[in-house]
Amino acid sequence: MSVSIVPTLRVLKPTFLIVGGGLAGLVLGYWVNVLFFPGLTPTQPIEFSHKIHAGDNEIPCQYCHIYARRSTSAGVPSVAKCVGCHENVAADKPQIRLVMNYWNNQEPIPWVKVHDLPDFVHFPHKRHVAAEIECQTCHGPVETMEVVTRIAPLQMGWCLECHRAENVVHGTDCWTCHK
Amino acid sequence: MANIDRRDFLKLIGAGGVGAGAGFLLADSIKHPVEHLIPYPVPPEEYSPGIVTWYNSVCGMCSAGCGISVRIREGRAKKIEGNPLHPVSQGALCALGQAGLQVLYNPDRITGPLQVSGERGAGTFAELTWDDALRSAAGRLAPLVESGRGDRVWMLSSGGGGHLGRLQREFMDALGSQNLVRYDFAHPQTLYAANRRFFGEDALPYYDLKNCDYLLSFGADYLGTWISPVLHSLGFGHSRQGTEGSRGRFVQIEPRLSLTGASADEWIPARPGTEGLLALGLAHQLVAGGAYEGPDADAWNATLASYGSARVAAETGVPEDTVKRLADAFAHHHSALAIGGGAAASHRNGVDTLVAVNALNYLAGNIGKPGGLVFNPAPAAGGSPGQEGYRGALALIEAAGRSEVEVLILSDANPLYSLPAAAGFEAALQQIPLVLSLSSFMDETTARADLILPSHTYLESWGDDFPEPGVGFPVGAVSQPVVAPLYNTRASGDTLLALAQQSGALLPWASMEERVKDGWRAIHARGSWEDEPELQDFDGFWTALLESGVWGETAHREHTGFSPAPEVIDGIGMPSAEFSGAAQSYPFVLHPYLSQTFNDGRGANLPWMQELADPMTAVVYGCWVEVNPKTAARLGLSEGDVVEVASPHGQIRAPVFVYPAIMPDVVAMPIGQGHTEYGRYAKGRGANPIQILTPEMEPESGALAWAGTRVQLTKTGERAKLVHTGGESRQLGRNIIQTEGAGDVTHAGGPAIPIKVVPS
Repeated sequence: MSVSIVPTLRVLKPTFLIVGGGLAGLVLGYWVNVLFFPGLTPTQPIEFSHKIHAGDNEIPCQYCHIYARRSTSAGVPSVAKCVGCHENVAADKPQIRLVMNYWNNQEPIPWVKVHDLPDFVHFPHKRHVAAEIECQTCHGPVETMEVVTRIAPLQMGWCLECHRAENVVHGTDCWTCHK
Repeated sequence: MANIDRRDFLKLIGAGGVGAGAGFLLADSIKHPVEHLIPYPVPPEEYSPGIVTWYNSVCGMCSAGCGISVRIREGRAKKIEGNPLHPVSQGALCALGQAGLQVLYNPDRITGPLQVSGERGAGTFAELTWDDALRSAAGRLAPLVESGRGDRVWMLSSGGGGHLGRLQREFMDALGSQNLVRYDFAHPQTLYAANRRFFGEDALPYYDLKNCDYLLSFGADYLGTWISPVLHSLGFGHSRQGTEGSRGRFVQIEPRLSLTGASADEWIPARPGTEGLLALGLAHQLVAGGAYEGPDADAWNATLASYGSARVAAETGVPEDTVKRLADAFAHHHSALAIGGGAAASHRNGVDTLVAVNALNYLAGNIGKPGGLVFNPAPAAGGSPGQEGYRGALALIEAAGRSEVEVLILSDANPLYSLPAAAGFEAALQQIPLVLSLSSFMDETTARADLILPSHTYLESWGDDFPEPGVGFPVGAVSQPVVAPLYNTRASGDTLLALAQQSGALLPWASMEERVKDGWRAIHARGSWEDEPELQDFDGFWTALLESGVWGETAHREHTGFSPAPEVIDGIGMPSAEFSGAAQSYPFVLHPYLSQTFNDGRGANLPWMQELADPMTAVVYGCWVEVNPKTAARLGLSEGDVVEVASPHGQIRAPVFVYPAIMPDVVAMPIGQGHTEYGRYAKGRGANPIQILTPEMEPESGALAWAGTRVQLTKTGERAKLVHTGGESRQLGRNIIQTEGAGDVTHAGGPAIPIKVVPS
C-alpha cells in the first residue's frame, strides 16, 4: 500500500493560498509604507519656506538657529524672533497671521522634527560648526527647499563614513557618540 | 491557478488586503515617533537649549546645611551634587541629598491651595485660588490680631535655618504671639543643653574629626545621621587615610552596631543609658591615673571618686580591663576626642551623659585645639535659634487642651508622625478650630488640616542657612531657586508675609527674597572689603555670593584657659536612666534609630531612598525589628516572623531581622517607615516606632527621651518576606573575604611591610 500526501496537500491548497496571499500583502504593505510614506518631509504647523528665508533673502542659518555654534542642539528660533521681523515684513500673508496668532496667545509653535537622532546618540552641533562643516553637508540644500526634507539617512554607517574620510580624532570611538 | 474558484479568489484578496494593511502598520510602528521642537515664545535670559548650568544652593533634606550644586538643562533640574566650595560638604553629598530631585518631581506633591471639604481628617479637599486661600486664612487671623489675642495663634515648625527661621519669629511677633514651637525629632537638643551647662555656650562646637587620632563616640552615628554626617565622613576619611604615617582609631560605644560602629576599629556595647557612666568611669581613670594635671584636679578627683572601674564595669556591662584600656588610650593619644549623641543622649539622663562626654574632652585638654572641639565665632546672622523641642510641643498640646489655640500653622512639621502617640497630639488637634499647613506633601498632619497653603520645595525657593556646627569659622550659604516653580505653590516665607500683610500685622518685606537679601545686607555691612573692591558694593557681593553659593569669614576664636566653674564640676553625676515599662513584663529596651535613608521619616516618600538598601541589614522597601540571634532562638523567632512590639504606650507590628550585632536584651527599629499618609511610596509600608515611645522628657533640655522605652515581643504567627540585597551575610566557610594578620604580610621575599601601630 502506498501512502501519498497529495490528497492532504490538495485539501490544504486554499489555506496555503490564503496564507501566502496574506504574507505577500504584508511585504507589499511594508514596502509601500517605506517607499512612499518615508516621513522625510513632515507637515509643519506653518508652511515655513527655507527657500524664501535662506535662499532668496540669503539669511545666514545661524541668524535663526542661534545655538548651533555653542550648544549640542541648533535650536529653533523663539516665536519672538519670528515676530521681530514679521511685525513689519509680509505681515499680511495668511501664514504670517498664523505666526502672529501664536504670538498673541504667547504659545510656542509646535514644529515637527525633521532630523531626529535616537536618545542614545550624542550629537553636538557645536563641534561640527567649529570644524567648519557646512550645514548643507548633513541637512542638504535647505536654501532651495520650500518644505524641509531629510536627505541624510542619519544611520551610524553614514556618520562613520565622514568621520573616517576626514580622519576625525577619536572619530570612530564608541564613546565619542554613545555616552 | 486556472481552477481557482470565486470563493477562494475573494479569500485571497481579503487575506492580501489584511496582510498589506498589517505590513503598512508594521512599518509605521518601527519608525521614529514624531517629535516636536517647541521654542519658547520669549526665551528666558541666559537660556540655551543643550547647555548645562550649575547653580549653587543649599540642601534642604536635613538640618546639616550642606552646599549643593544643581545641574540645570532647559530649565529643569537634572542632578544634585555637593558644592565643592562649601566647607561643610566640600563637594560631597549624601544619598538623601542627591534624592532631592525626587522631592521636586514627586508625583504626590500638593499642586495648589486646598481647603477641606466635608469633615476634617476625612481626606477630602477642594481646590481654591491663592487669593481665596489667603483671604480665608487672614480672615481668621485678623480678628485675633485686632483684639490683641494674637497669642492664640501657634506655629509648629521643624526648624528652618537662616532667615526663614527668623521670619517665622518675626511673623509671630507681628501677630503678637510668642507661641512659635520648633520641634525636630533629630535635633541635638540635649547637646545644646550640655554645652550650655558645661561650657556656657549655647552652640555646637566644630568637632575636628579630621585631625583627631582617637575618637570615642558615645552613641553618635556620626557617619550616618549625627548632626552633619557628610562633614564627619570627610573628617573620618582624612583621619583614617589622609595623613601619612598615622591612622586615627575610632571606638564606638552603642548597644546596636550602626554603620558608624561597623566602620570603627572597635565596637563596645554598653547597657543602654549607661554610656555617660562609662564616660565618667574613663574620666575617673584619667584623673586618678594622674593624666590630668590642671589646677582643678582635686575638684575632679572628688567628683569622680565614686566612678571607679569596678562599679562602672558592673553597671555598664563593659569589662573592667576594657574600661582601663580605653581610658589609657584616650589619655595617651595626642588628639583624643569624645563625642556623644543618638540614643545615648536621648535617655532621661541625656544631658548628664553629654556633660560627662564634655568633661572627658576637657580632661584630655582638647578644647580649642586641632583634633579637639573648637567653638565657632558667633555667626554673622546671629546664633542658632535653638529649639523649643518636645517641651514646646507639650505646651502646644496643653494649650490646645485648654482650648487656648485658635489657629495652628504647621510649617514643614509633621507632629502626628514625629511625636509619640501617647503625647496626645491627635486629641489636641481636635481642639484647634483652624489648622493651616504649609507643607508640600500630604503628610499625616497635613491630611488633617483645614487649609493647605502648599510650599515650594527648597529647590524653588529663596532661603539661606548658617550651618551649625560651623567648621571653626562662620559660614553662611544662600539657597536660590534653581528652577521655576513647577506648580501653583508659594515659598512658605512668601505665604507668611502675605498672611501678615492681610491680617494687619505688617512686616517690612514684600517677599522672602527681599527678607533674605535684607539679612545679607547686614552681613555685608559687617565685613571689610578693602582688598576686594568688586565686593564693596552690595550688588557685587550678592552676585558673587549667588555664584559661589557660600560665604565664610576668616575669623577664628581663641580658646584660652577655659575651665568649668567649680559648681559645674561638683554637679557632674550620673542619675541612672529610667525606662518606661517594668523589666519583667517588658524585657527589651527599644533602640529606635534614625534611618540613613529616611532621616526622621521625611525621606520615605522618595522611591530612590526606599530602593536604597539599608547599610547594615541590606533591606529595601521595608521595616524590621533587629533581634539578637540568641534572643531570637530563645523566643523561637527567625527572620520574617512578624512580631508585635508592645510598649506600655502602644504596639506596632514588624518582621524580625536576626542581627548579631545587637545586645541580647535590646531590640532595634529604624525610624522612617510606617506612614499612614505622605504619598504613594510612603503610605502603608512598615511601622513607625516613634508611635509607641514613652512620652517622657529629658528634664534639663526639654528634649524627647526617645531611647527610654521598654518593649515586649509577641510572635503573631504571621510571616513577611524581608526583601534584601545579597542572600547570606556569612561566609559559611567559603573564605570569600580572606584576612591575614598585619605581621604576616610580607613583600615577596622581602621584609614585612612596616606598619606603624598606634599605641592602644
